[in-house]
Amino acid sequence: MSFLNRLLLATFVGVVLAAGVHIAAILTAPRYAEQDAFGRIQPTLAAEHAQIISAPGGANTWLPMPDPAAAVAACAFNLSDGPARIAAKTGALFLSFSFHTKTGGVFFAVTDRAAVRGELEIVVMTARQLDEARAGEDVNEPSRDVRIVAPESRGFMIVRVVAPTSSLHAQAQQAAEAVSCTVDEQV
Amino acid sequence: MNVQPVLTKTPAPAFVRASSISSLPVTSRFNPTVLLIIYALLLALALGLGSAYLALKGDPPFGGVRIGPWQTWPKLGSPEADPYMRAIVAYGGDVPLATGEGLAVTARTDNEGRELDSGCSYRIGAVMPAARIWTLTLYDRDGRLPASGSARSSFTSSEIVRNTDNLFFLNLSRDLSAGNWLQLPPSGSFSLVLRLYDMAGAGGANLKAEDLPTIERLGCGS
Repeated sequence: MSFLNRLLLATFVGVVLAAGVHIAAILTAPRYAEQDAFGRIQPTLAAEHAQIISAPGGANTWLPMPDPAAAVAACAFNLSDGPARIAAKTGALFLSFSFHTKTGGVFFAVTDRAAVRGELEIVVMTARQLDEARAGEDVNEPSRDVRIVAPESRGFMIVRVVAPTSSLHAQAQQAAEAVSCTVDEQV
Repeated sequence: MNVQPVLTKTPAPAFVRASSISSLPVTSRFNPTVLLIIYALLLALALGLGSAYLALKGDPPFGGVRIGPWQTWPKLGSPEADPYMRAIVAYGGDVPLATGEGLAVTARTDNEGRELDSGCSYRIGAVMPAARIWTLTLYDRDGRLPASGSARSSFTSSEIVRNTDNLFFLNLSRDLSAGNWLQLPPSGSFSLVLRLYDMAGAGGANLKAEDLPTIERLGCGS
């Protein structure tokens, strides 16, 4: 085999391996990203209220392309401490929750249309915690919690409150900050 | 019967050994094979990581929907997002609008496919899909809100002024304009993001070009 042929073969092998490297890099990027939303929100795990990550006006935020009309706040959760209970009082402003994990992306989202008597309350749990909660439940008095099962035990919740006018920015920010994120006592 | 293959194989190791011995002085001086292997591995790393990096900085390559000048990735905010979408979201530190929250559509070109340029002036109108509230935001080339202190960089459905037919027109230009107006950045390209919060219909699957506003270029240079 002449040197040129071997060079061509090596180039071909390199390109084929490059495809593998490319796929591996894309697949592992969410797991190893440190500056992703999960990594930035995780330090606020102990907070009992949602922490603003992008205030209305869109200034001073790490969130790319922020919506200047929206107040965006986040809560981290770790379900190994117990189910996470996210609760908000809804008002006239649009309010939505979305639930994310580090590598799985969004797993649930809900808007204030689902609110019951002005309150939107979601309990995030693992499949096992859901089974335990069901098993420990009083048959005559079933829980009214809206329960969702998270695919991973660690993740974060994003609340968005949209202000239709700039005069409502402060109100939107307050509504987002008032969202409580607590850990339920395990049964 | 079993003896036969063994017998025929005996010369082979000897041949290999002999050839490896005879090539030994050559490899000790210069071994193109080792160089070629290193070359192939370096090429794989450079091409693989380079292409992955480019992919992470760009738009998701698959699952995009083009509606007139607007582009959207309906699965970006859903559990069915593909690995490219997940990697791009993680790399950018982004939190995309979830499918249940609303839909974001992005425009980087006008109606005729020309890149949006802040040297030109544009008119956006006149209809919007049904949504509880929408916001239309202008970003500069780097995805930041334009730094203009006083001027607004976005309109919401409540702020925009509509005419008697419930249609709206929004002017984009660097110089002050009457009516609904957003100031363009001093130079470079820009992009527009329309966020439809609590939109009716499943993730914009039924959106058509005539439901979304058009982006008409009025003129360039001044």
